[in-house]
Amino acid sequence: MSETTIAAPGRTGADPEPAAPRQLSMQQALNLALADILATDPAAVVLGEDVGTLGGVFRVTDGLQGRFGAARVFDTPLAESGILGMSVGLAMAGFHPLPEVQFDGFAYPAVNQIVCQIGRMNYRSRGTLPMPITLRVPSFGGIRAPEHHGESLEALFAHVPGLKVVSPSTPEEAYHLLRYAAARPDPVIFMEPKSRYWQKGEVSTGRRGADGDLGSRVARPGKHVTLIAWGAMVARCLQVAELAAEDGIEVEVLDLRWLKPLDAEGLAASVRRTRRAVVVHEAPLTSGLGAEVAALVTERCFDTLRAPVERVTGFDVPYPSGDLEDEYIPNIDRILFGIQRVLEYRRG
Amino acid sequence: MAELSFPLPDLGEGLIEATVLEWLVEPGEQVERNQPLVEVETTKSAVELPSPQAGKVLRTYGVPGAKVSVGEPLIVFEVADDAAGIVGTVPRDEAPKRRVRLTAVPDED
Repeated sequence: MSETTIAAPGRTGADPEPAAPRQLSMQQALNLALADILATDPAAVVLGEDVGTLGGVFRVTDGLQGRFGAARVFDTPLAESGILGMSVGLAMAGFHPLPEVQFDGFAYPAVNQIVCQIGRMNYRSRGTLPMPITLRVPSFGGIRAPEHHGESLEALFAHVPGLKVVSPSTPEEAYHLLRYAAARPDPVIFMEPKSRYWQKGEVSTGRRGADGDLGSRVARPGKHVTLIAWGAMVARCLQVAELAAEDGIEVEVLDLRWLKPLDAEGLAASVRRTRRAVVVHEAPLTSGLGAEVAALVTERCFDTLRAPVERVTGFDVPYPSGDLEDEYIPNIDRILFGIQRVLEYRRG
Repeated sequence: MAELSFPLPDLGEGLIEATVLEWLVEPGEQVERNQPLVEVETTKSAVELPSPQAGKVLRTYGVPGAKVSVGEPLIVFEVADDAAGIVGTVPRDEAPKRRVRLTAVPDED
């Protein structure tokens, strides 16, 4: 391939001085992360439906076009295949695209670009055309949205060679994981839990280093059982842990964060401590990521496990819209039942 | 609080502008979602535009008789920082409710 005629500038911007930690919602933390990425990486561009003039349907890109200009933060036609196809071309030309698919249900029209181009380009080109693309996908349910506006696509993306998949659970995680993902040479599917956009938490800026950004995170230590979750389910599992403590059960909550690659060592270390594992996700049970987690835990902890790994998940139906999601998303009682089952299991 | 600008949408196949006939709201007014905001006339018809969302009107663009191009700002709202997105609702922060109690005693060996 000849030298491209589109000149993408190099990484030259200096990181802003870390500010004192402050209370931000996840939506504000993501907005700040995008602003810091655009300020420090001249090759970064933000594109998607309504990300420019409107500032995003969830306000995540609010004010970015005004600050960085319409050449770096721009609206696209309503065509996800085009958004991701354009991102492939931009990445080949040396840019670092941060495309947004407005809702996870709209990712399906772009699956060809994501799977057959973005996931494979580095492999196909023998490493000469990496795809430094961070695809932001507002994900999961919990906001009573209509059909096509709530899905749980992590297993689909995690199954695709060449892609990395991550989902933050707090504003702090959202800021740092987005900055980390955007600085990678690999394509990352960044699944933002919609139902957590508005909850506030303390956010520190600056960079915390790869050690802080990689692998899983113990969100709450405990000794009787490990609850494994990601995205919006982490907050629910922390509520469950609080309630279980009333009954004398100490629950460890492991926030997986990275869904590809999975933190096998972190999983094993936690389950070796607690000897019991319950994995919780919104996606349907069958071939969900919980199956992969259960396999990894079983392979590494077979001798220490006191019970089969329990899965508390959505059902094998299309992700329901509106109020019906209350019947679908794992609730506190269903997770408590899962814990009860692994606690009372005895080898026959 | 945040400002949210709403541009004139494409009101029909190939129409590129519309003429403001009458504003039905004024700056400072609190409007509800789907409340009629403005009557505009295109080459095809006169139509009332419903508000895309709830919020306080900060500014309107175009006096009666003025033309506004599709994509140009029509009205700016002030919205709360925790306003819902254009689709869906903001989940309420509720105290966790339970019916299930854990009864098993984990063996400690």
